[in-house]
Amino acid sequence: METTELKQQLKKQIIEFLNLISVNPGDIKDDEPLFGEGLGLDSIDSIELIVLLGREYGITIQDPKEGRKILVDINTMVAYIQQHRTK
Amino acid sequence: MGVISAIGNTVAENRLALSEARCGISALTLFATKYADSRPCGEIKLSTDDLSLQLNANEPGITRTSLLALHAFEEAIRDGQLSPAQLTDADTALIGGTTVGGMCLTDELYQDAQQIESGSEYINSYDCSSVTMYLQQRYKMNGIINTINTACSSAANAIMYGARLIKAGLAKRAIVGGVDSLAKFTINGFNALHILSPEICTPFDEGRKGLNLGEGAAFIILEKEEVVGNKKLYAEITGYYNSNDAYHPSSLSDAGDGPFLAMNGALQTARLSPGSIGFINAHGTGTENNDLVESRAMLKLFNQPPPFASTKSNVGHTLGAAGAIEAVYSILNLHHQEIYPGLNCKTPISETNLKPVDRYKKISLQHVMSNSFGFGGNCTSLIFSKC
Amino acid sequence: MPLFYIHHTNCISPQQTFPDADLSVLHQPVNYKLQVIEPKYDGIPPGILRRMSKAVRIGAGAALPLLNKLPATDGIIIGTANAGMEDCFHFLKQIVDYEEGQLTPGNFVQSTPNAIAAQLSMISHNNGYNITHVHLGLAFENAAIDAGMMIKEQPEHNYLLGAVDDIATYNYTLNSLAGWFKKEAFTTDNLYELNTPGSLAGEAATMFLVNGNPFNAIAQLRALHTIHSTDEIIIGEQLKTFLEKHLPEGEKIDLLISGENGDSRLLKYYTTCENGLLENVMIVRFKHLCGEYPTAAAMALWLSCYILQENQIPQHLIKQQSADKAFKNILIYNNYKGAQHSFMLVSGMG
Repeated sequence: METTELKQQLKKQIIEFLNLISVNPGDIKDDEPLFGEGLGLDSIDSIELIVLLGREYGITIQDPKEGRKILVDINTMVAYIQQHRTK
Repeated sequence: MGVISAIGNTVAENRLALSEARCGISALTLFATKYADSRPCGEIKLSTDDLSLQLNANEPGITRTSLLALHAFEEAIRDGQLSPAQLTDADTALIGGTTVGGMCLTDELYQDAQQIESGSEYINSYDCSSVTMYLQQRYKMNGIINTINTACSSAANAIMYGARLIKAGLAKRAIVGGVDSLAKFTINGFNALHILSPEICTPFDEGRKGLNLGEGAAFIILEKEEVVGNKKLYAEITGYYNSNDAYHPSSLSDAGDGPFLAMNGALQTARLSPGSIGFINAHGTGTENNDLVESRAMLKLFNQPPPFASTKSNVGHTLGAAGAIEAVYSILNLHHQEIYPGLNCKTPISETNLKPVDRYKKISLQHVMSNSFGFGGNCTSLIFSKC
Repeated sequence: MPLFYIHHTNCISPQQTFPDADLSVLHQPVNYKLQVIEPKYDGIPPGILRRMSKAVRIGAGAALPLLNKLPATDGIIIGTANAGMEDCFHFLKQIVDYEEGQLTPGNFVQSTPNAIAAQLSMISHNNGYNITHVHLGLAFENAAIDAGMMIKEQPEHNYLLGAVDDIATYNYTLNSLAGWFKKEAFTTDNLYELNTPGSLAGEAATMFLVNGNPFNAIAQLRALHTIHSTDEIIIGEQLKTFLEKHLPEGEKIDLLISGENGDSRLLKYYTTCENGLLENVMIVRFKHLCGEYPTAAAMALWLSCYILQENQIPQHLIKQQSADKAFKNILIYNNYKGAQHSFMLVSGMG
């Protein structure tokens, strides 16, 4: 899958998975921090995104702390998915 | 008092196990889950059928949670020598805490919730109140009956509510406590949050990896002074306070506002200075967040905290029962003037350098504090005093 | 001394009750369920709203405007039986679908009944007393007793007292299976007349700001009594005792708000109360407004405040007329499944 297409797909999945009701894919910038500022996600969301990566892309991340290094922004997530996806 | 836990089926058995530093946490042998071998729990090694036989309790729809509650309740009323007339008196209240209720039957609940034609015998047993209602019906109780669910502080809040009913003149006697049994629901829930430890928990240890779930029940009988008569007394409940951390649904704020306010409030209710507390039965779940924050709050309030320990390394985190089981243990501390070792802490948390008590000791105690901090920021602190 | 004085109320229900109340138009059940009319939740940050189950949403929607009126509220006291159950069911489904594999924790965290009180304290930064009573058909009454005790100790303190229950898949199915909802067709007009078992499923969030200060209060809750029994004779006897103990000398009950819900099996409890002591008293019923759910007594308390403020009663509520034009002492009698009963004595401030 093309990177642009994957980014778009991932944004839609994140919105749906985390029930981000007032957010559209176009609202999420590729390099905008997902946690803290930017999208403002929290620790429960980080665990949920790890589950998302597992269910949609077959990626296993055991330690949530490791996960936070990958879940910085859309760019880092997509890069990791492209390298490690099994689905 | 009455208690059943992974380290004993009675108050005496629990006391002996605590004194001997025994741990009741192990791989699950009775409870069926994918995590039976990888997530040790404080399982009571009595099957539900055995409990039912022992207690002669086999009403349709009865759950393991109700059976555990009945076990502890019966010990308490025997110990308190309550007559049937006293139990059914309109001035005798019953307040129970639980988080699981009948949802220990996770699979049955899932099936029933999708049925169209007919349900199982447990249809009316799933909710939290089913346990307290079971006891009310079995003993035909007529006072104020209530169930509280504030996650891990449920039973502590139940004890506080009972004490306040007596203070307000709405009851002369209150049987208060809590219960929870192991459930796929809670095992998977805590596991999803990555706070279940794959090893036996190490509260207040620098390398702690999370909590172990446990199951159990405890009830204590509170009585107004004028109705106590010549009965033996274990302790007095002199302080209690509840406060909310108001920070996050499942973790405590860095500064520990909720725990600090709860402990401080309990001291104020009891009109005691921090220095009067001889021992703290800490919440001490073994999670990174709780133990650090609780330590910070203890340091802030006490400056030099008194001896403390968590009994969750003996019995696991019994959720809705924790506040009551730990109240019994705190009362045992006072009644026998002794403290029990906290298990498995080898290296204290580097930021605070606070180490739990690590051996059994006979010690002069006037006041013991017991803390319970739950999901949703619900923080409760109780103070028991020698009488 | 009453338990407390009520100063503000809010109710999100299946009728027009929020933000302003207009009971002249009656909204009918849809698919035999009375579901709340949800408002826009402007006061709830989207980041928090997205996680909320319906019960937490409607609870927060009703409570936050009151907490904003009085930010220094000393505590939040909630009664609920069902809150969190929808999330509970979603989590159970995950356990089954993914065979206890990697699961998302959001549903689990939101599935505890104390999520309402917890979220309210988080949003309003309230460190005060925070408790959730879950004793099914007496969850709200226990919450009210709790508020009364807090206020007795500190009359100047303010508390948010409330009740929330919603129709979630899990509890609707279980109650249906157990025969608590009517199986035949009905409308609001014939709900009470059909003389068949079962009622209709309902939901609402009802919130009150209460304290020990009579100045500017809408109403006072003078007394409250709870009973666990299935014997209507006991209910009748305890009502007599309740009124002897709590009705002020020389005064009478002007209005009975009855929790009659169309279930023919439960009528005997209401008939016992109506016949013995309360002849010639005006009787109104309210469950065609909100349906049957464990904390419906809170809706009755809200209705008593509405009646005391408006001093008029829409015709569709009235079961029995009387000559009374003004209402001072209101008795609320409610039961849940014929096993948990409560009396509340509410009086106006005049």
